[in-house]
Amino acid sequence: MIMLEVKGLHKSFDSNKVLNDISFKVEKGEVVAVIGPSGSGKSTLLRCLTLLERVDQGTIVVAGDVMVHTDKEGHAVYAPESSLKKIRLRMGMVFQDFNLFPHFSVLRNITEAPVHVARISKEQAEERALVLLRKMGLEDKAEAYPYQLSGGQSQRVAIARALAMNPDILFFDEPTSALDPELTGEVLKVMRALAAERMTMVVVTHEMGFAREVADRVIFMDKGQIVEEGKPDVVLCNPSNERTRAFIKGLSER
Amino acid sequence: MSYDWEGFLKLLILLLEGAKLTVMVFFLTLFFSIPLGLLVAFGRMSKSRLISEPIKIYILLMRGTPLILQIALVYFGPYYLLPEGMKINLDRFAAAVAACTLNYAAYFAEIYRGGIQSIPKGQYEAAEVLGFSKIQTYTRIILPQVVKRILPPMSNEIITLVKDTALVQTIGISELFRVATVQSSAKSSTIPLAAAGMFYLIMNWVVTEILQMAENKLNYYR
Repeated sequence: MIMLEVKGLHKSFDSNKVLNDISFKVEKGEVVAVIGPSGSGKSTLLRCLTLLERVDQGTIVVAGDVMVHTDKEGHAVYAPESSLKKIRLRMGMVFQDFNLFPHFSVLRNITEAPVHVARISKEQAEERALVLLRKMGLEDKAEAYPYQLSGGQSQRVAIARALAMNPDILFFDEPTSALDPELTGEVLKVMRALAAERMTMVVVTHEMGFAREVADRVIFMDKGQIVEEGKPDVVLCNPSNERTRAFIKGLSER
Repeated sequence: MSYDWEGFLKLLILLLEGAKLTVMVFFLTLFFSIPLGLLVAFGRMSKSRLISEPIKIYILLMRGTPLILQIALVYFGPYYLLPEGMKINLDRFAAAVAACTLNYAAYFAEIYRGGIQSIPKGQYEAAEVLGFSKIQTYTRIILPQVVKRILPPMSNEIITLVKDTALVQTIGISELFRVATVQSSAKSSTIPLAAAGMFYLIMNWVVTEILQMAENKLNYYR
């Protein structure tokens, strides 16, 4: 089953073309890593997929529901807001800088959307939140406030918050880039566990180790285009494209 | 010669009556200007220039001219502006509260705007991705955080308001300071003025304590 289908995505900021004819598919249970130099459009791609930005042209289908398609004149036409609302609920997003709600406890960060958006009971939401926190190794932090957490803990809470809405697909925007090196491990561990459970994930990352080990497929982007796409050992170890090779080489020389 | 304690007691009772009006102007102004300021703030931040431009002019007028003038204009203005036969006399007290409300709403609006714009974009985005509606995003995520950030500048304004209420005497309201000046000239004494000063000080001490309590209450997060 295809969870996400993207066809011919175009996006410009003023005259700056950020996404240029992006097409790819993500199967249910697949983990896709998106890599590439900064400014290549990876984050913008994720923001378009999660409706934080609107595309100029192209088609996005989430689990069979059309989010946006292109009309005969080549303009993007979005589904009505009521459908977008439904589609939004099928997607979760984990941000680079967590974006936890500082005025809520960890528990309430996780339960607020299930209670007030998905409208499940508070008891049920809290029960589920505690299960998620245990999974994240943070069961003792339920009553803590975000300022009391380390970066790694914050990001795991953010992952739990996204999971609490039971998304069909989870997007990660450089989830470890704001973390100290010794804290990235604990976040990657949680993401590995999710991958093992066949959670569908699209991960924009600079962690080549993670991409190699966990991703089923790697997409390499440069200058708003998908330059290369394939199995991680092929794209990362034996790339056919010149730009991919240069990027991978640059990384290994750091 | 012993001090005229009886006279002092009478003075205190007169001052208390004045203070009652002062407190009423203070509370009613806060009651109306705190929510009105929020409306003004959203108008000021509106993407439509049809809304934001007039709001900017309103804020400029309110902050750019003396409050004492605004009080006089709100009270006397309608009388002079309305055509013959339709002339109405506004209630003094209502005019005073209206003028103070309009003035303070402008200041509050700019404080709210600063607070709202200081909340990182990521908070809105996290809320949006989680499916919160625009209204939920403001009421549940953004405004609670704004309250914490704006409390110190709001405290400043609220303390100033306690003292600004003295300006409503310009349209003949016998608030605390008016009573004190009248008593001072009648008795050729500065004691009524000093006593009025103490009244303001005590009021602002209470206000400060309450605002401090509110700040402490919001200190549970950073």
